[in-house]
This record gives sequence, C-alpha cells and structure tokens, in this order.
Amino acid sequence: MKPAPFDYEAPTTVADALKLLGSHEDARPIAGGQSLVPMLAFRLARPSLLVDLNRIPSLSGIEEKGGVLRIGAMTRQAKVLASDVVKRHAPLLVQALENVGHPPTRARGTIGGSCAHADPAAELPSAMIALDATMVIAGSGGERRVRADDFFIGAFETALQPGEILVALELSKQQGVSAFLEVSARKGDFGIVTVAARVAVKDGRCIDAALVLGGIAERSVRCAEAERILKEQGATPKAIDAVLAALPLDAVTMDSRSASAAHRRRLIPELCRRAIEAALASQVTP
Amino acid sequence: MIGQRVLRVEDKRFLRGEGRYVADIALPFMREAYVLRSPQPHARIVSFDASAALALEGVDAVYTAADLPASLTPIPCRIPTHGDMTPFLQYPLARDVVRFVGEPIAVIVASSRALAEDAAELVAIEFEPLPVVADAKAALDPATPKMYPPGNIATQWGFDLGKVDDAFAQADIVVEKSFSIQRHSAMPLETRGLIASYDKARSYLEVWGPTKVPHTNRAMLARMLGMRDGDIRFAEPDVGGSFGARGEFYPEDIFIPYFAIKLGKPIRWIEDRQEHFASINHSRECTFQVKASATKDGRITAFDVVLVADLGAYIRTHGDVVPSHAAASFPGPYAIRNYRVAATAALSNKTPSGTLRAPGMFEANFAREQIVDMLAEKLGMDRAEIRRRNLIKPDEMPWYVGTQSVNRPTLFDSGDFPGLFEESVSRFGWSTPLPKGEGPVRRGRGIVALVEPSGFGPFESARIEIDPAGFATIFTGASNQGQGHETMLPQVAAEVLGIAHDRFRVRHGDTAMIPYGGGSYASRTAVMGANAVHRAALAVKAKALAAAAQMLQAKEDELALDDGKVIVAANPSRFVTLAHIARVLTPGNAELVPAPKDFIKDDHDGLTGEVFLRAIPSGTAVFSVHMADIALDTGTGELKVERYCVSGDVGRAINPMIVEGQLVGGVVQGIGGALLEELAYDEDGNLQTGSFADYLLPSSHEVPRIEALVVEKAKSISNDLGVKGCGEIGISGVAAVLANAIAHALGTGARPTKLPLTTERLLDLVEPGS
Amino acid sequence: MTARNVSFTLNGKPATLAVEPRQTLADAVRQHLGLTGTHLGCEHGVCGACTVLLDGDAIRGCLMLAVQAEGLSITTIEGASPPEGLSVIQDAMQRHHALQCGFCSPGMVLALESLFAHTPCPGEDDIREAISGNLCRCTGYQPIVAAALSVAEKNRANLGAAAPSA
Ligand SMILES: Cc1cc2nc3c(=O)[nH]c(=O)nc-3n(C[C@@H](O)[C@H](O)[C@H](O)COP(=O)(O)OP(=O)(O)OC[C@H]3O[C@@H](n4cnc5c(N)ncnc54)[C@H](O)[C@@H]3O)c2cc1C
Ligand code: FES
Ligand code: FES
Repeated sequence: MKPAPFDYEAPTTVADALKLLGSHEDARPIAGGQSLVPMLAFRLARPSLLVDLNRIPSLSGIEEKGGVLRIGAMTRQAKVLASDVVKRHAPLLVQALENVGHPPTRARGTIGGSCAHADPAAELPSAMIALDATMVIAGSGGERRVRADDFFIGAFETALQPGEILVALELSKQQGVSAFLEVSARKGDFGIVTVAARVAVKDGRCIDAALVLGGIAERSVRCAEAERILKEQGATPKAIDAVLAALPLDAVTMDSRSASAAHRRRLIPELCRRAIEAALASQVTP
Repeated sequence: MIGQRVLRVEDKRFLRGEGRYVADIALPFMREAYVLRSPQPHARIVSFDASAALALEGVDAVYTAADLPASLTPIPCRIPTHGDMTPFLQYPLARDVVRFVGEPIAVIVASSRALAEDAAELVAIEFEPLPVVADAKAALDPATPKMYPPGNIATQWGFDLGKVDDAFAQADIVVEKSFSIQRHSAMPLETRGLIASYDKARSYLEVWGPTKVPHTNRAMLARMLGMRDGDIRFAEPDVGGSFGARGEFYPEDIFIPYFAIKLGKPIRWIEDRQEHFASINHSRECTFQVKASATKDGRITAFDVVLVADLGAYIRTHGDVVPSHAAASFPGPYAIRNYRVAATAALSNKTPSGTLRAPGMFEANFAREQIVDMLAEKLGMDRAEIRRRNLIKPDEMPWYVGTQSVNRPTLFDSGDFPGLFEESVSRFGWSTPLPKGEGPVRRGRGIVALVEPSGFGPFESARIEIDPAGFATIFTGASNQGQGHETMLPQVAAEVLGIAHDRFRVRHGDTAMIPYGGGSYASRTAVMGANAVHRAALAVKAKALAAAAQMLQAKEDELALDDGKVIVAANPSRFVTLAHIARVLTPGNAELVPAPKDFIKDDHDGLTGEVFLRAIPSGTAVFSVHMADIALDTGTGELKVERYCVSGDVGRAINPMIVEGQLVGGVVQGIGGALLEELAYDEDGNLQTGSFADYLLPSSHEVPRIEALVVEKAKSISNDLGVKGCGEIGISGVAAVLANAIAHALGTGARPTKLPLTTERLLDLVEPGS
Repeated sequence: MTARNVSFTLNGKPATLAVEPRQTLADAVRQHLGLTGTHLGCEHGVCGACTVLLDGDAIRGCLMLAVQAEGLSITTIEGASPPEGLSVIQDAMQRHHALQCGFCSPGMVLALESLFAHTPCPGEDDIREAISGNLCRCTGYQPIVAAALSVAEKNRANLGAAAPSA
C-alpha cells in the first residue's frame, strides 16, 4: 500500500498554487490528507503533482466581519470544533463536526478538504447546506462564490472545476436552533443516515427552517417540502407529523451491504423527528 | 509469586516504542517483496508476462510457481482431519488456476516496497474466468460446477449418541431454529511479515517473523524444501497479536524463504492491511440447524444439529478443525446424552479459513445458548433456572461428551459448574430488575453458560539455566504474541527457585535456542508452558540442593531456597549462592567432580533443568458464564451494551491481572464479531471488505464496562499447577449473550439468528416484515 | 521520482532526510532513522498505530507525507519517552495492564499525551474520545481508560481542582 510516484510542490500563495495546478495535467491539491492520502495508498488516486495548500497562510483562520463568519478552507476541523466564535455564530457546524472522525483526523483534516472531497456520507456538506453557506472558490479567472446547495453536485463531485481551489466558507449568523444527528456503525464513522436540522422560531412562529439529509444519496438532500411545512405551520407536534410525512424518501439511492436503501428510508423519519425535537430543546441559541 | 498481580516486565519496551516486531528488523543488502495476488475468484491463468516489470530499474526478480522446485508439494494439514484433504490443499503459488481473490500468483522482489508495487502494476496476466462457487449453499447444490474433481465438499462426518429420536418422541417440548455466523477473522493489529536470509556457504537459512508454532512450521518447511531441520532457524520477534490466525504455515512462509535462497539476498515481506484481508485465514463462517427437546421440568433431553461450514477455496494447515470442534463440543456444559450432529465442510471461492480465538465455540455457543433460551421461553421458566437444571454436576466429573475432535476425546477434566454459575448469577444480580427503558429504548438481559476446552498437548518444553553470575534464563517452547509469557513464566519459576520474577529473562520462539517447542494455541501456555517451566524449575532446585548439601555439609532436607541462595533453614547465615553453585557446576570445574584417574566420565552440566512435558490429549475444560444488559433503540436499531460480566473458573490464576486482561480483551473482540465485523463477498466471489473503513473493529466508544470474575475453584487434574487456559472464554460467549439479551428486550419471540447484528438487522427484528 | 531533502525538528533535534515525495512521515522515520516505535497497522488512517505528535497534537503518521514536515516539529514515541524508565502515562499504562501485544501502545501513549496536554483532568468520555481513533485488538480499552483516569486523578490532586474539567 505505497502510493504511486508523484511530484510535490508547496506554494505559499493562492496565486502560485493556482499556477501549479494549471501547469500539470493531473495536479491535485492536498489539504489535511485525511481522505486523499488513503486514496493514494490504495492507488485509487494517482496525481502527477500534489500541490500542498498547507503553507498558504491566507487559507486558514476564522474571522467574523459584518455578521459574516469566514472560515478559511485550510482551517483544521479541530480548530473549528474548539472555536467559541463558531459555537456562537454557527452551532450547527460544531454539532456536525463532533461526528467527524477522531481527534487525530480532526487535527489535520480541514473544513475545506471535507467539502471539496464531498463524500456523500460526510457530515459537513449537510451542515453547509443547512447553514446556507457560501463557498468561496479561486480559479485562474479570479474568485467566485457558490451557494452550498449548488456546490455539492454528486458523490465526490462539486462545483470546483479542475485547477480551482476552495478558499473559504462564509456563513451568516445561524438563524434559529439546531441539531445534528446520525446513525453510524460506530461513533466517528461516516453516517448511514445523517440529519442536520435548524429551526428558527420567533413569537411562536417558525420563520426559517432547514432539514438536510446525508448518507442517503449521491449528495445531501434538502427536504424542501418539509421545510415549507415547518415554516407554514410552526414547529408544533402536529406540524412535525406532517413534516415527517413529507420527507423525500424516494430520494434515497444509497443501497449497500452496510445498510440497504430500505433501512436508510425507515431511519429518516425517526432521525428527523429526533433532530427537530433536539434542536428545539437545545440550549444553544446563536 | 504464583497468584500475584505482578506488573509485566515486557511492558517497558513496548511502551517506549522499543518492541522489535518483524517490520522493525532490517538486514544488510535486504530486498523487499510484494506478493501479486489474484484479482479473480476462480480463473485459469492463460498468460503471464512480467517483462515490463522486470525492466523497471531496481526490480530484482518476478517469481512464479515455475520458479519453485518442481517437486514441491501443496501445503499439508498439520492436524488430523475427517477424511483425506489431499485434493483440496493449496500450492504456495498458484499454478494454472486461481481459486480465490488474494491467492498468491507471483512475488516481486525489488529495492523498495513501493517499487515492487510499481512493478506489480506492470505485470500483465490474462485470465479465463471459471464458474464461481459463491458459498456453502452453492457448494452443496449438485448443479453447481465442481471446483475440484471430487466436488465442492471437503468432508462430512457426524456423531449419533444416545437415543435422539426416542428423546424427541418422548419430549414435552421441542424447539427448532437455524443460525448463521458470518465470516470474519482475528485481525491482529500487526499484519504478518517475514524476513528470510540465507548463508549459502554454510547452508543456513534464518527466518524472522514466524510465531505460534515455529518448530512445527520449520519442520514443514524443511520437509517441503528437502532441507534439514538444523539448516533452518525460525525466530519469533515481538508479535502484535495472533488470536489463532497468525503463525499458521502460510504460502508466504514457504516462498519468501525459498526465494531468499534463490536470490542470494535477504528478502523482507511485510504484508499490508489490504493483503491481510484477502490472505490471512478467515474463520467462523457456518450455519447451524438446531432442534432441541426438553421435559416439562426443564431437563434438556436432546440436541440434533446440522452444521455446515464454509471453509473457502482450500484446506489449509488447520484442516477442518473449526467445525470439528463445534460438532464435538456443541452440547456445552450440559449433561446431555442424546446428541446427534451431521457436519459438512464445504468449499467455496473465498479465502481459505482457519482458527480464530475460541474456534467453533463462539459459533456453537451462539446457536446452543439461544436454543436453551427458547426452551426456557416455551416452558415459561427463568433462563438461569433452565441452565441450573442441566449443568454437569461436580460428581459427574470427569465428563466425557462422547465425541472426538482431531483425534482427541471431548472430555471435561474437572469443574464445579453449578458453583461458579451461582456465584456469577449472584454477583451480577441476575434477578434484580432491569432499569426501565426510556422512550424508544428497550432493555434486555442475557445469560449464557459455556465450557471451553483448552490447553491441548501434545507436549511442551522448558529449560532453565542459571549462569555463573547468578542470572536466570527461561527457554520456553511456547511462543508469545502478547499474552505476557515473559512475566507469567518467571512467576512460576520464581515460586520454586526463590529468585524474584523480574530477574529472569525469557527466550521463546527461536528454534536455534530451543530444540523442541509446542507453541501457542488453544489457551495452552499457562497449562503446558507454565507446567513445563514449573518442572524445569523443580529440576534446577533439586540440582542446587544436591550440590549445596555437599558444599554446606548439610542434608538436603535441611536446606531451603531464598533470594538467590540456598540456605540452611535453621541457620540462614550458612548459605551458598546460586551463582556460586552455578560456578561449581560449570563443566570443567574440578569441585565435586574430581578428574578421573582412568577413563573419561560425565562432567557437570550446569545449574540447568530441562523438561519435555507430555499432556493428556483432552487438555482441560474451563467453565464460564457471561451476562449482559443491553439497551436497544427501537427507533434506530442502535444497540448499547450497558453492563457485561464474564466469569471463568481457571483452576489457578498464575497472574490474575493477566487473566482478567484476557477475559476483558476477549469480550471486546467478541463484541466486534457479534456486532461489527464481517468479511463480506458479493455473489461473484469478490471480497467487499478491503479496508478498516468497511471491516469495523470495536473502538473505545463501542465497549461497555466489563466485569471479570476470575475464580479458582476447580483445579485442573490434568497438570501439576492445576491451571486451565483462560485465553478464549472471554470471546466465546459474547454473540450468544448479546443475542439472548436482545431477544429478551424484544420480548416478542423474535431472535437475532444472523451475525453480525447491524442496526439494520436489529431494526428488522423490531419491525418484522419491514 | 527523485528524492528531495526535508528538514524538520524531530524529538527536539534537527533532522534532515532525503525522501521521495510519496513517502509517508511514518515510513520515513522508520526507514531512514530506525525509529521503529511508530508502527504501521493499516497505512490508511484508521488504526492509529502510526500516531505521532505534530506540535503536540496527535496525528496520523501514515497520512502525512514526509515532505510536508518541512520546518515542523514532530515527536515520536522515542521522543516522548524519558531517557530511562517510563513517563507518567506509560507508567500508568503498565500499572493498569493497558497493553498486551504492545503494537498499539506507542500510538495510545501519544494520543493520551496529546489529550493531557490540552486537558489535564479529563473525564472518562474525554478519554474514550481521545483514543477513539486508536484501535487496540488486545485489551478491550478498559484498562487504557483506567490508566488515563488514574493520571487525571493525580493531576487533579496536584492542581487542587475539584471536578473533572471536560
Ligand atoms: C479514520 C478516519 C475517519 C473519518 N471519519 C470521517 C467522518 O466520520 N466524517 C467525515 O466527513 N469525514 C471523515 N473522515 C475524512 C475526513 O477526516 C477528512 O478530513 C476529509 O474528508 C478531507 O479533508 P482533508 O483536509 O483531509 O482533505 P484531503 O484529504 O487533503 O483532500 C480531500 C480531497 O479534496 C481535495 N481538496 C482538499 N482541499 C481542497 C481545496 N481547498 N480546494 C480544492 N480541493 C481541495 C483534494 O484534492 C482531495 O481530492 C475520516 C477520515 C479518517 C482517516
Ligand atoms: S497505520 Fe496510520 S492509522 Fe493505521
Ligand atoms: S495491546 Fe495489542 S493491539 Fe493494543
């Protein structure tokens, strides 16, 4: 299990990194390496050149400015998990991260790497969608911004074009309370089904809601109809029943030895109910 | 010393990172090997072209079966089997047909492992696929194409004891159920590996990495290559776990040494985890169809069992030992005289199989103990009570089950099963109410009783040497994969010799230092290895006392051993040190053996003792009770093991800390086998689990607090020390007790009959029909 | 690919190695420096046997390339062990019989070093989480957790803290 040979460069600016990525046929960025290096070891990935993003200072850091939280793509998952600013500003992100891997993988693994990798069972994409995050992408033509919901396209497929780099995620202050729940074989594993739930209640009315399922299809699935019901009817027990009846169960396509599609389908309503209830019961109000 | 919780002497080097495992050894001019394995489950090799690989700079050789001696036989079984296994044995490298994904086809030797892997990608092999036998069910279907001329069944056998049909006819109740146990494996944290180096001029082959049964394997290698035993040294380094799978005589154990001879340079092969999944012995895959009967008052009257095991593509060194043990010991700790079993060892295009800690027993317990619960349910009887009524009683010992496995009678030497059972039940609080489940959570409690045969022979060796500086060394024929032999064996010797345990060194697993050795399997080291050390220590003691008696002008029975000295018990100021005695007993020393006047005669032979112990074939039997409380989330199928208690009557615990460690570690390995681990194949014979991301081991989060109750009630009558093996009782009952607890939580009569118990399977039980 | 030089601080001392870019940090310290206490149990990031410390944090030695270590500070088990004897954590592990084959032990020691560096008095949940990415096939984790709790207990006594800080 030794990787196939490749070349390696460690630029210090995004511009240089973009140049290097553009210069090689099969160049690929490496962030925390927690997904890429195993793929190299299995020779499932065979880049000609690895462009290391770890030496580009501008890609790391957490910064709140004008109500928008900007998290550099190279910020380690452990840093985000421990960040008070993130906890205040976007608790759902912290709730999701608690389910991602283990301390040593979070010490290296990055927020951007997880999003760029876009594993269909990963937690962060769902959290990003539920938080209406904006993904900031740099390419040879400059920077562009993509809504999280448009960024995640399919299994291991994102809006990133070859040669582009995800540079940051931008989050407005989280609307409402939230919870992130999942069923996985072991704690720290990718989820069989994950649910990110966010509910904003004001004066007894539900003013905003997000319900995003992960692990069930090529990419995370936003439950638009269920969200609409929540917003229309409020987060009452009756509304929740209606929400559970309106979940997009036919979106489930993941069917594997570890969990059949039918199993994932029956977990969804149960997890959604628990997630909404947990969100409503949670003390963390951003 | 015996019986004390002595800290382990080997820990220091392991904790400091100074353990020396096989991958940590390097030799001058050493080359690295990569084994090119079959990607096909069943295929004819049509062509093989390694020219591009050989053209790569740094690649020394690409060896195939054609490079092995033409006279080379397949790898034989080392254990008696039911019937002739010759047609199903594996050649070290595939000749023209491959029969499982992972079967070795070629060996690439290069200056680095990475380069060898680069070269492997350049080897072009053309295969012609052959029909695949996907599993035992297919193997048993006469319509399935044959893998071998005799067919897809390796062997069938059975027992029919007592009057099974009469028992069923007269029974008050009968229950019936089928159970299936999934393929999984020992999965030690260290993968396998070997380094072989050959000194051609001196005809001396040295191999580092073998373990478990190095002497047996050396003899097999010598026979297969036509070499002398004395031309080969097998040396066991530190070993990162075996649990039954590592250290069998694998194909690599033949071709890596042979190609090192051929190349004329040392070769190191370190298996990677991906290879490990496909090439180490798999285990456990089998099904049981069980029928049992009982009387109204809960007396179990008969078991009727159909056992089918899927042994994979070849029969390996272990033969059919796993289903053989399961068939022989199925009745467990119960006094049952009517027992019938029909066993089949089927072949399929999957990795061959061998033992895994509690071979056959983990499987049989899973089936039998659920059947016992079903009888209790049907009778409306407490589940502890039905067991109580059927346990073999102390006055029935020794108990002969009436079966044999690998030519050994299934015989329980001693035991107070009811005694330990009651102690376990009351310690756990079997009848205390379970906490109520909250919301969707339902709680359940399970109990199982089991007996684990252990400590098999045939023999073990030990030599103890005290050198003229007074340092003591134990040479043991037992091998060590992490069990703590370097502490436990000195404790035994210390007890006899009055030398602190940490002043001994222990040498093991090296055929150059140890002429004969049995090795480590079937929880045998405490039984065989420790008893051998005990007797060797007694021999040293006798010698020391005899010499000291002369030196001190005292009678032997006035002397005692104390802190490295022989003292006159009544007057400890009169003493002679063991170092001094060792100097006196050094060959050539004139004291006590004056020079002969006429003819040469026997000289001193050092302050040493050497023994070769022969064991009774049936070994010892360890009784154990497992109890667990679980919480099942009926909304998600998630299972939490909340409490676990395992007890074992080990006869005598040489080091209770080590015994408890074996029990607790065994339980957690069993939790893996019960809930998480599976080597899964698709219908086409492709291995689906090739990484630790899909073959799941228990982590620190998945395991409960485990209470280990070690008792020393029933000394084994088969050995001086009265010890019984403790290595396997921890794992043996785990799947069974969790299944029983789950069925209890469900309370609907539904039962987990198929392992592993994934959230999906558990939720299926909660919502039948969904 | 040709080898290139990488310089970093290893166990407190400067080190320079010539490595191929594809070589992992774990392979490099093992093969070039003979620091074989860093074990390889899977080479794909799951078992934790290869754990090393990067600026004090436990990371996977098999998931970092050696070339990436340029200028960084790496500690292996050899560097985390005192010149003689055992560290506090190592000693607690021996006392609690927290190892059998020892293959996972260097990684466990370093995972716990990293935990205690951040959280001197962890509770059981913190400990289980800290070692959740380190597989042990022998001990069942219970004695490892007990060992770590005993260190936490000692730290609490020394710090005079009353409750476990989570
Ligand atoms: C034992 C273990 C358990 C894990 N458990 C989980 C889990 O439960 N949930 C989960 O979600 N993940 C899990 N992971 C994976 C997670 O840890 C990784 O961190 C994450 O998937 C990738 O992040 P990374 O920074 O390591 O990226 P890398 O591995 O370096 O890169 C991943 C991919 O993204 C690309 N990439 C990375 N950064 C950028 C960028 N800024 N711009 C463009 N492309 C980029 C790379 O080219 C590569 O293709 C686990 C990993 C391990 C080893
Ligand atoms: S060897 Fe690195 S995690 Fe297993
Ligand atoms: S002690 Fe063997 S793997 Fe942990």
